[in-house]
Amino acid sequence: MKRLIQLTVNGQTRDVPVQPTRTLLDVVRDDLGLTGAKRGCDLGACGACTMLLDGRPVNACLVLAVEAEGAEIVTIEGIAAGGRLDPIQQAFVEHGAVQCGFCTPGLVLATKALLEATPEPCDTAMREALSGNLCRCTGYVKVFDAIRAAARRLREERTCPVTPS
Amino acid sequence: MSRYAVVGKPLPRVDAREKVTGAARYTADVRLPGMLRGKILRSPVPHARIVRIDTSRAERLRGVHAIVTGRDTAGLRVAFVDTPRYPADEPPFALDRVRYIGDEVAAVAAVDDATAEEALALIHVEYEPLPAVFTAADALRPGAPLIHEFEYPGKTIWEDWGARGRPEGEPVPRADNVAARTFVEFGDLTAGFERAHHVRDDRFDVAPVAHAPIEPHAAVAWFDADGRLNMHVASMGIFYKRFVLSKALGLPISQVRIHKSYVGGAFGGKIDVFPYELGAALLAKKAGRPVLMELSRAESLTTTRMDFHAAVRVKTGVDRDGAITAQDIQVTVDTGAYRGTGPVVVFLCYSYNIPVYRVPALRYEGLAVYTNNPVKGPKRGHGAPFIRFAVDSHMDMLAEDLGIDMVELMRRNARDRGEVMPTSGDTLRSCGLKDCIEAAARDGGWAVKRRTADWSATGRYQRGVGISACSMFSGSPYYPFASAAVMKLHDDGGATLFAGTVEMGQGSETTLSQIAAEELGVPLDDIRIVSGDTELTPIEFGSFLSGGAFVTGKAVRLAAADAKRQLLAMAARLLEAGVDDLEARDKRVHVKGLPHRSLGYAEIIAESVKRAGGDPIIGKGHVKSVPDAGLHPSLSTARGRWTEAYGFAAQLAEVEVDTWTGKVRVLRLVTYHDCGFPLNPQIVEGQIEGCVSMALGQTLQERVDLREGQVFNPDFLAYRLPITHDTPDMVSGMIHSDEPHGPFGAKEVGEGAVSGVMAAVANAVHDAAGVRITSLPITPAKVLSALRRRTTEDMGGLERAPHAPQRSDAPRHSRGAPRPRDSFTGSEASS
Ligand code: FES
Ligand code: FES
Repeated sequence: MKRLIQLTVNGQTRDVPVQPTRTLLDVVRDDLGLTGAKRGCDLGACGACTMLLDGRPVNACLVLAVEAEGAEIVTIEGIAAGGRLDPIQQAFVEHGAVQCGFCTPGLVLATKALLEATPEPCDTAMREALSGNLCRCTGYVKVFDAIRAAARRLREERTCPVTPS
Repeated sequence: MSRYAVVGKPLPRVDAREKVTGAARYTADVRLPGMLRGKILRSPVPHARIVRIDTSRAERLRGVHAIVTGRDTAGLRVAFVDTPRYPADEPPFALDRVRYIGDEVAAVAAVDDATAEEALALIHVEYEPLPAVFTAADALRPGAPLIHEFEYPGKTIWEDWGARGRPEGEPVPRADNVAARTFVEFGDLTAGFERAHHVRDDRFDVAPVAHAPIEPHAAVAWFDADGRLNMHVASMGIFYKRFVLSKALGLPISQVRIHKSYVGGAFGGKIDVFPYELGAALLAKKAGRPVLMELSRAESLTTTRMDFHAAVRVKTGVDRDGAITAQDIQVTVDTGAYRGTGPVVVFLCYSYNIPVYRVPALRYEGLAVYTNNPVKGPKRGHGAPFIRFAVDSHMDMLAEDLGIDMVELMRRNARDRGEVMPTSGDTLRSCGLKDCIEAAARDGGWAVKRRTADWSATGRYQRGVGISACSMFSGSPYYPFASAAVMKLHDDGGATLFAGTVEMGQGSETTLSQIAAEELGVPLDDIRIVSGDTELTPIEFGSFLSGGAFVTGKAVRLAAADAKRQLLAMAARLLEAGVDDLEARDKRVHVKGLPHRSLGYAEIIAESVKRAGGDPIIGKGHVKSVPDAGLHPSLSTARGRWTEAYGFAAQLAEVEVDTWTGKVRVLRLVTYHDCGFPLNPQIVEGQIEGCVSMALGQTLQERVDLREGQVFNPDFLAYRLPITHDTPDMVSGMIHSDEPHGPFGAKEVGEGAVSGVMAAVANAVHDAAGVRITSLPITPAKVLSALRRRTTEDMGGLERAPHAPQRSDAPRHSRGAPRPRDSFTGSEASS
């Protein structure tokens, strides 16, 4: 039996009829057509499906769509404002933190949650925050480089905000 | 200052923006109107006769649109290796027999996943169990149940490519479970061992591991209005896939189109054409609708190939100075229920080993053996990780016996530029092996950190260093044997490059664009690349056997050079100058020495259209993967040319062993890779770091837990990949050896740097704690039990723990060799 729920994804609220058994990942990928979040394991073990729920990173394969009703959901499609990459995305591009890219949406969002909560994470905190995101390609070295660079960039932006040119 | 404007620079990847925004489309992201979901029914038993399959109840389920069983593929056998000697042995869907847990029995297409799952449960299959075998040793025993009772000679893929075939005939009864054998012998082995000052004989064992790309396998198939098959696949080479798909499905090649998808990591595991892909096509045909087949993580891990379980025996004779006089190597792999790449891996264990050390006399035997385990296939390095683990662990043991420093021993035996490989005749036109060894030893602090067999310290944490080296092909003669590229210039002087490469993370779209930009004389931003589509691009070798950058890179450079030649010819007319007096850079053609006389590319192209009968300037280039190779070199004798260039690497590990828990922590991993010339240093570093991470997983923690043919850890909770916390300090350096046949001097990178890690770590563990672990992975349980045994022996005690694992055979042919300090081969200690 389907149920009509309201999902707020990337700032837009939509009515979606869903089976109560379906996961947020399935509904966002199949019904909302946002395929940026990936299915790597369907078991909460890889982080490829990471989304932000009220700013907290969750494995969307472990969340039922009906549970996400009323929350602010952010997917990878929602963080580049007006075509301008988020500083974290920019840092991933510049520092070679992307290879096959399948883990990338999850890593970027996990980093976003981390830097919002802890703008200057120590090495251990950074590793800990990303320990639920598997990447088979990079060995994480350049991912760490990117996160450090993004933290620096965000710090600079906070101290001397960029004026739109 | 660099000679080049674009290549050799750490430029950001051209695909990165799409990937960080979630816009990049992978196969499972494809959505088509009316698309159905496909699922596979798999054998729950390791070996059985199929008595009956009844699909009638599933057919009647609402929402089910098509079902495929072995009846739809009767008589068909598909395999990566399909040669006259080793004809294909794998039916896409079982007709009368299943041979491993996961073997494909049927496929269903339905309106959604849930309906498809329900339909699978309604298919009734009656199995009659057959005796099964689960180790190579058991399968080789006389009287072992035959996993394949017949060989089916027939027209093989290699005959389509021009190999001499064997007459088609009746099925030939098989006598044993040997799936393939490679045998190589050269030099005087007996004399070599007799001449030796010292001989060792050691055994090693390597557990199977999984590729585990984060993207599970997936395929989308549909037939268009003209009856042509269209597919998105997770691949490493679209032209190879198209060829096999068309042959298996009985469609002309030009009636099959592979469309572009990004691939979420492959590492060797996405080259084969799999039953799920054929299933998707057959279901789409029957249902008349598109089908998406997305495998689960467990299916991806168990049924789309994994790395081999390998046993290696190495016996080496050395003279007083440590120079190898003779070597005898035996490799036995469990290849699983079908051949997979068994015949290739036992050949490659020879071929990836031989370029490292000079061996005057060698006997090599490689056996691939059928069992009722999951099927094995190529994984990054394809044999090099286990043969190099064995040989360089063994060399470290020899070094200790002889009292020679391991780096010195490697130096004395390492090959140099100009050497010709036995049996293949491949020449090392570039070889930075010794430079790699020196640089890794230097940066890794070899001279100061080496403990040199002093294990008297008693602290809990003990540190040590170890080193190893490896080598890898740069492409090989395999279908389609060549790459071509087309370069189309636009009105504004920018260009689109058409190249069939598949971007699976290796950065090929970027490095190929850099090559094109450099040769054409335009900035990288002016190059667009169209890739991954068999309809839009010319043939491409594929991104396997490490030939992507080397082979396709050359074709791209030639295509750009061809376009530039045409530009210069037109510019010469316009500028009234000789072609030789012109130079092209920054999107302009200049007359040398006369900076004011120049023309922009846009102007030249416009003039070309006006004056040259509408010629908009299109360049093309093509290159054969190994130009002077015969078409069909031999896997069983290793004769025939195999590659144009070898990449080399040396790797040094610094470890800390916790002597209380047996846990090994890698502190630092130094790699020097001779990749000829790094087309994009950031990408090369990324490849090395990825290799090292994956290799450390295999060395310390990864193992497919197979018991009686069942995988007990088919998910990422139980099969633990390296995570952020496992990443050590890495140094990833490059040696420039300028390969004369490579594009801008480049050759292989991306596979080689996995294979030196295993022995480097094993040797470092020995250096740190005095225990020699000869089986992978090096788990705390193994280290701890080896440490305990060492302590007992040091105290002169004779008693051993009742369940202590078997000690490896003492060297049988040793003369004056001290007993190995401690060895441990075999499976995990039961604790
Ligand atoms: S798909 Fe959700 S954690 Fe892997
Ligand atoms: S970039 Fe491929 S899994 Fe991370």
